[in-house]
Amino acid sequence: MTQLDPRAAMHLSDAAVSVELETPEMTLNIGPQHPSTHGVLRLVAQVDGERVSSVDPVIGYMHRGYEKLAEVRTYAQTTALVNRIDWVSGFANEIPFVGAVEKLMGLEVPERAQYIRMILTEMARISSHLVFMSSYPLELGAATPLMHALREREHVLELLESVTGGRFHPNFNRVGGVKPVAGGGSNMKKQSQDLPAGFLAATDKAMTNVLDVCDDLDKLVTGNELFQARTVGVGVIPAEKALEYGMSGPNARASGVKFDLRKAEALLPYDGIDFEVPVGHNGDCFDRYVVRNDEIRQAASIIRQAIAKLPSGPLQAKVPRILKVPKGEVYVRAENPKGEMGYYIISEGGRLPYRVKIRSASFSNLSILPWVLEGELVPDLVAIMGSLDFVLGDVDR
Amino acid sequence: MTDSPSESDVAVAANGAADGTPTTDVATFAQEMAELVGATAWSADHGVARLAVERDGWVAAAVKVRDHGLPFFSWLSAVDWAREVAVGDPVEAPEDLEERFEVICRLSSVHNADAVHLVVDVPKDDPVMPSLTGEFGGAEWHEREAAEMFGIDFSGNPNAGRHLYLPDSFEGHPLLKSYPLLSREVKPWPGTVDVENMPSTENAEAAAQEAAQADEAVEGEDE
Repeated sequence: MTQLDPRAAMHLSDAAVSVELETPEMTLNIGPQHPSTHGVLRLVAQVDGERVSSVDPVIGYMHRGYEKLAEVRTYAQTTALVNRIDWVSGFANEIPFVGAVEKLMGLEVPERAQYIRMILTEMARISSHLVFMSSYPLELGAATPLMHALREREHVLELLESVTGGRFHPNFNRVGGVKPVAGGGSNMKKQSQDLPAGFLAATDKAMTNVLDVCDDLDKLVTGNELFQARTVGVGVIPAEKALEYGMSGPNARASGVKFDLRKAEALLPYDGIDFEVPVGHNGDCFDRYVVRNDEIRQAASIIRQAIAKLPSGPLQAKVPRILKVPKGEVYVRAENPKGEMGYYIISEGGRLPYRVKIRSASFSNLSILPWVLEGELVPDLVAIMGSLDFVLGDVDR
Repeated sequence: MTDSPSESDVAVAANGAADGTPTTDVATFAQEMAELVGATAWSADHGVARLAVERDGWVAAAVKVRDHGLPFFSWLSAVDWAREVAVGDPVEAPEDLEERFEVICRLSSVHNADAVHLVVDVPKDDPVMPSLTGEFGGAEWHEREAAEMFGIDFSGNPNAGRHLYLPDSFEGHPLLKSYPLLSREVKPWPGTVDVENMPSTENAEAAAQEAAQADEAVEGEDE
């Protein structure tokens, strides 16, 4: 049996528009909606026949003004807000925020708390990427992968819920550690809510299933000729453009930028973990898909290693009940499933921050849309948009 | 708790370049970059190389930093330094404060933890900035956000004057310190019933002292 190289094959949708026709310029309004309802986005596209000549994204439908709200809330109250920014990976949003406050206060977080944060961050990454794995093929017309990917995501979310009490909005991180025992009172102050019984074994089993579903997705989607025809060579973003637009995370890595904050500036103890950073070469939709599939495998491996190394000890540093953060400014970032997520906090020494700037990954990742869609085909518009894996809450903040 | 963490942080950030690329400590790096862009002042607190530049040299400085190995356009935003605030806490010493906007742009490396914050002071009576969009396509949205939130004009931005997040008919600039938060005007923050007393209540200091005493009492019990 001869193997067809999909990259060498003529792009199927190109063939459909090879006939020259007079076409008037037309304005096509798309939305406000999101094909997989990750919030609300509107695109105003100028199309010439089947070609997109320009696209103007209209955002802000989900704007909640977190930067203003953070100025009138204490640091502890703001952690409840920040996990609503990118709600598909809520846990991962809390990490750089508490990290920034801890850095300003000069707090040392106990090792066990750091490992628990790392395990749950990687679970958030798996659950976020599995949403992509289910919705992206669906946007291209393949409904079956959704069932496989979402089933395993549900198990991962159940594990997250068993520890934190929330599937989407854990609000589990505290400045200096993780959440204290519910209703513990003053004599429980030194204890914190630890992992529930059976969590480690259940996680190990869930990771086996996650790795299985990655293989299933490879069989169902990655090698699928129709899927490749829609994605290979479509929406190519060169590395220089990606950096110019501040594109980060799996999207940038698909363009060959081998950069991962877990390696370069790790907030959590990733230096004790052995893992690979998957990169693509072509920067097309297909590479953006493959990189995420590989990242799920790496995340599962990180979780298993972290469980094997999980140290014992306290879960909270000693923190005063009313947090007063020393005067100063700091920017702390972490590798969110969508890319670089960071908080720039200016403290004037009080209980409220003077300014909080939220750097969210999807905002920059989406801002490249007008550039990448120019000259593309209308049917590829959804393929390219979906491949960027943005969440509108993360765009609008 | 109150110790200045800056020294240890510099060491942490310098070790942060974990992919094998040797990095000098942040202070040395900041000084080098300051000389490169001709900065008027620089600092390296909390591991951030912060360079103050002139408004006229804004674009040139960003290009120099980019071409010096920091091509990643991370973000651009502004800070409103104001003596009086409508909501939230004021600055520590309002009488000494020079009222101004600060526009900040962060560029970083994609090989190690190196990064630079370019900072420019913008007077409030002349809030105009040159746009970076000619060099960084990604600056367009960041500048439009800063423009609508703070009322700073970025001349040269292809979509200058168009709102990014806010409705077209929206008036005002919400992130200005003089801009009230209407939900707080209409109804006091329900969080006041919480254990902690909420900001802007007069007895915040008293509550803080009370809590500190309670903390001490608990510590005593533990020991």
